[in-house]
Amino acid sequence: MEKEKTWKYGSEPFYPNHILKQLVLICILMALLVSLAAFFPPPYLPKADPYVTPEHIKPEWYFLAAYQFLKAADKLQFIGMWAPKIIGILAQGVIGLLLFFLPFIDRNPSVRPSERPYALRIGITLAILYIIFTAWGYFS
Amino acid sequence: MTGSQKNDTERQPQTDLEETKKRAYIDILNLMSLIGFLYGALDDRLDFDEALAQQLKKPAPHYRTKLETNLLACLGGMSFVLILVQILTGVLLLFYYRPTVSEAYQSVMEITGQVPFGWLIRGMHAWGASLLIVMVFLHMLRVFLTGAYKPPRELTWVSGVVLLALTLGFGFSGYLLPWNQLSYWATTVGTEGVSAIPLVGETLKYLIRGGHDVGQLALTRFFAMHVVILPGITMLFLTVHFLMIRRLGIADPL
Repeated sequence: MEKEKTWKYGSEPFYPNHILKQLVLICILMALLVSLAAFFPPPYLPKADPYVTPEHIKPEWYFLAAYQFLKAADKLQFIGMWAPKIIGILAQGVIGLLLFFLPFIDRNPSVRPSERPYALRIGITLAILYIIFTAWGYFS
Repeated sequence: MTGSQKNDTERQPQTDLEETKKRAYIDILNLMSLIGFLYGALDDRLDFDEALAQQLKKPAPHYRTKLETNLLACLGGMSFVLILVQILTGVLLLFYYRPTVSEAYQSVMEITGQVPFGWLIRGMHAWGASLLIVMVFLHMLRVFLTGAYKPPRELTWVSGVVLLALTLGFGFSGYLLPWNQLSYWATTVGTEGVSAIPLVGETLKYLIRGGHDVGQLALTRFFAMHVVILPGITMLFLTVHFLMIRRLGIADPL
């Protein structure tokens, strides 16, 4: 059996209090989803044709940042022909691994923002870079 | 009952009604005792009631303000709700979708144009995917900013990163299935990107496409990924993720 835990800002029972509040949020979420589906349906597009390449090929928005990053890495050709692909892929691989092993890399036990300046700076920078590269990919 | 017995002869139809009602009640009671019989036996062995009560009464912590509690504490749960929506709408789409190069596009057109509410289900599945990814990103950002990934919750974070990768995999594999120009060429370019990985890139690209170009084999592979392989792995990691959250408790608010 678990011990009763006291929370800093108090707590509420999972059922019925928390569940009911979540149900309200779920209703809002479903309303948003159904509205999006009804008012902005997936666009009509012609059938796939391997012999006709469209002018602008863009991936889904969540891959745009990675895609744009690879395209930006193309500009590194002055280092050598190998540079763009290797650096573009390697940097993304490193970011992925950093994310995966984050709890084992960031061994700072404190959770207070003022006591973990580096982790927060790096994290927020990466999040902003993701948004910038997505926007860059979207508008280019 | 006493009232109806008194005026037995005068209110014959009423008594019939009472009799029918009584029989219905008894039927319902019998049914319930049958459920009780099964449930009781199961509960004897597995302690459903106790387990359920324990889960339900577990307290959910408040954050500093009401707004924070409502917005920050819901992100993971809302991601799960969206996963459930994706499963439900996905299965419904599966009833009508045909994963072949010659028929995929046609079947998606049928879903949009002819199947009752097909347009809605397809729209919800497409938008649900985007919303799910937004929600998962926000959930991860929240966990990062509040430092909730720190010991003892390291593995909850790791399983979460795996779930993020799986979600992106769903997005990538699902994008090809409508077999239109955009999905075909986005997949061609996307799988081309895989070949940039040093040493194994070309082989990996060939493996994913099932050949040199995106064709029937690629569609079959992406379909299998999207509806069988990824859902299975996701279920596994979701279970692990939830079990660890339950076991280790929710992280202290800042």
